[in-house]
Amino acid sequence: MDAVEKANAERQKRWIKDQKVGEGTYAVVYRGHEASTGKKIAIKKIKVGQFKDGLDMSAIREVKYLRELHHQNIIALFDVFSSKTNLNLVLEFLDADLELIIKDRSIVFLPADIKSWLAMTLRGLEFCHRNWVLHRDLKPNNLLIASDGQLKIADFGLARDFADPGYKMTCQVITRWYRPPELLFGSRYYSTAVDIWSVGCIFAELMLRIPYLPGESDVDQLRTTFRALGTPTEEDWPGHTKLPHYVAVGQFPKPPLRDLFTAATADALNLLSKCLIYEPRKRISARDALNHPYFFALPNPTNPAKLPKSASQLAPRPLEEVDGNVDPSGSAAAPGTKAAGTAARLKRKASVSEAETRAVARRLDFTLSSSQRSP
Amino acid sequence: MSKSGWLRGTTVRKGLGSSQNTRASTPQVQSTSTTIFGGGVKDATGKVSEYSSMEDQCPVCKSDRYLNPKLRLLVSACYHKMCESCIDRLFTLGPAPCPICGKTLRKLAFMPQTFEDLFVEKEVAVRRRLAKEFNKRREDFTDLRAYNDYLEQVEDIMFNLINDIDVAKTEDRIKQYRIENAALIEANIQKDESYAAQLREQEETERSTRAERARELEKEEDEERRAREAVERELLNNLEHSSTDALKLVAKSRAELAKREQARKASAGAAQSRAGVLRSRAVMSAIPDEPHVPLQDNWYAYEDKFVLKDDYFDPLSEAVKKDREGIMRAGGYRVEEAWERAIRCAVAGLDVPPSSELSAVQSVVPHVDLAGDVVMASA
Repeated sequence: MDAVEKANAERQKRWIKDQKVGEGTYAVVYRGHEASTGKKIAIKKIKVGQFKDGLDMSAIREVKYLRELHHQNIIALFDVFSSKTNLNLVLEFLDADLELIIKDRSIVFLPADIKSWLAMTLRGLEFCHRNWVLHRDLKPNNLLIASDGQLKIADFGLARDFADPGYKMTCQVITRWYRPPELLFGSRYYSTAVDIWSVGCIFAELMLRIPYLPGESDVDQLRTTFRALGTPTEEDWPGHTKLPHYVAVGQFPKPPLRDLFTAATADALNLLSKCLIYEPRKRISARDALNHPYFFALPNPTNPAKLPKSASQLAPRPLEEVDGNVDPSGSAAAPGTKAAGTAARLKRKASVSEAETRAVARRLDFTLSSSQRSP
Repeated sequence: MSKSGWLRGTTVRKGLGSSQNTRASTPQVQSTSTTIFGGGVKDATGKVSEYSSMEDQCPVCKSDRYLNPKLRLLVSACYHKMCESCIDRLFTLGPAPCPICGKTLRKLAFMPQTFEDLFVEKEVAVRRRLAKEFNKRREDFTDLRAYNDYLEQVEDIMFNLINDIDVAKTEDRIKQYRIENAALIEANIQKDESYAAQLREQEETERSTRAERARELEKEEDEERRAREAVERELLNNLEHSSTDALKLVAKSRAELAKREQARKASAGAAQSRAGVLRSRAVMSAIPDEPHVPLQDNWYAYEDKFVLKDDYFDPLSEAVKKDREGIMRAGGYRVEEAWERAIRCAVAGLDVPPSSELSAVQSVVPHVDLAGDVVMASA
């Protein structure tokens, strides 16, 4: 046994697997604890060998970014070790996600609760952006809630650092309902503004309690977006008609946000509209958003310890909820694997309707990034 | 999105529907017309909900919702759509042929559309018509087999009618069935009616019990108040006339009040309203809500020790620089950010003493500087 193997075995001994909590195509998640302290953790075992090119790209991305990003509002990666041919990620154990809470009709949200969740999301995101990382898959499902109420951004499987000039990025990222128009129009050069759009959609969803822009296909997503926010003009968003996949989807007038968000304060609507500006360069940055008057106006954001919790979060739940990382779409792409059962149990609308695109997105992403790196 | 949006019949402000329309693919407008006969599906409140969408277009005059936001499409007896103004134009002077299939139509026989798919609309109409007569129940058959055969037969008839297969023959079959089973049909209709009446009665009783309970509660509260007043009055009386110690008297009446209060609370039970939950949450804990602090670290407290230039010699960014107003601009990409990142990464770790980095190697935590901030390390 050489030194590396020894070190690996040492690490493996630190963590005890308890029971399996979920399975997806490319990973199995176990609940576990640290041998010495008994601290609860989640172990995510990545299956190797399913993908011809070795490790799945999202696993590599996840390890790459989580190893570097340490913040109160970002899921913690405690350790990485290998067992036989598998890669194991030891992650913070979190038992709820924001989607679950939004969907729990028995919970009433106070305006201060929404403010608190939004501020925590933006703080985590600001930390990613200041370290030049784009998350590229923000959605309520990927915002996990710790037992002390802290919100943590998870699933860095689609994250990447800023592209150097001359390197294209893929536009097949971000779950459709949270995808900004520049990506829908196929832009290959984009910026942190894509994550802000997702935050805007999540903010709206927190107020409405239903997804704000639920498009049924990529073109329908554009139509839905424009119907809600008006079709952009060349003045609103210079150059958008030159984007690679530009299509005209009809002219819609811009209705006032107030019509839909009847109970929101003027500050809240102002921040929302700044997150949903078509021109990415004008869209508010995470740092500016945190300094927006909305957050300073009364009521103060709810203390995380007092935020409402879902009653169902106490019961053990399958993978996606433990850690938004495993792709339910995988099972759709590869029927016959064990994962199919898990996905069927998880009839969660957003993820399921997203199934096909996501599978493609990850694949696409993979090949693109590897070919980019080769020269 | 609500699956039963079309059934709920929520009111949509006319002429301005776009914000609502973005939220559900099948928005709904409530029927306001009185000229309609039959058709449509009624919701719980007894109103017919109508299907309409942003893509509606009248197949006859090609007017669409964009040009005419008040566009309302009705469905003919032959299941073709057209708008109200076309119907007025074509059928006001009496029966006329359908402009699409040529069948003779009357103005009054147009019905509102409930379902997006007209085929479903037709199926619902056929099923409703047949359900009136084909109303046999399981009890009317000797065994399950016979009942299943009967159901199968009904489905056959429905299928034929819905898909226009052998319509004449099928109609004959229905007529024959009607003649053969006239008595049973009548009996079953009466049974259904009596069941419905029973249900109504039950609801009525429930409603009256609820009202009764509310009245009782009110009475109880009234009594409670009166009792308390009586106690107070008695106390005052006693204080005025009796020779006992005043303090003792006050204590006695307080205890009495407290006992009453407790009894009332116990009987009131744990019925707590939603608003109550909300209020209790607001005062729930003593943890104060702190005012907002944008960022909880001092990352931006550092002063940059470099100045970003307007331009750099950077062969890789030639394409980006050339396309300043093109696709890269619209995507929000700025080459300046890539330059800033490169410079920042180059200088970020310069003040960190090497020893702190060495000690960090043992733990899993990667390169962290003194302030706990992560320094981007290149692989």
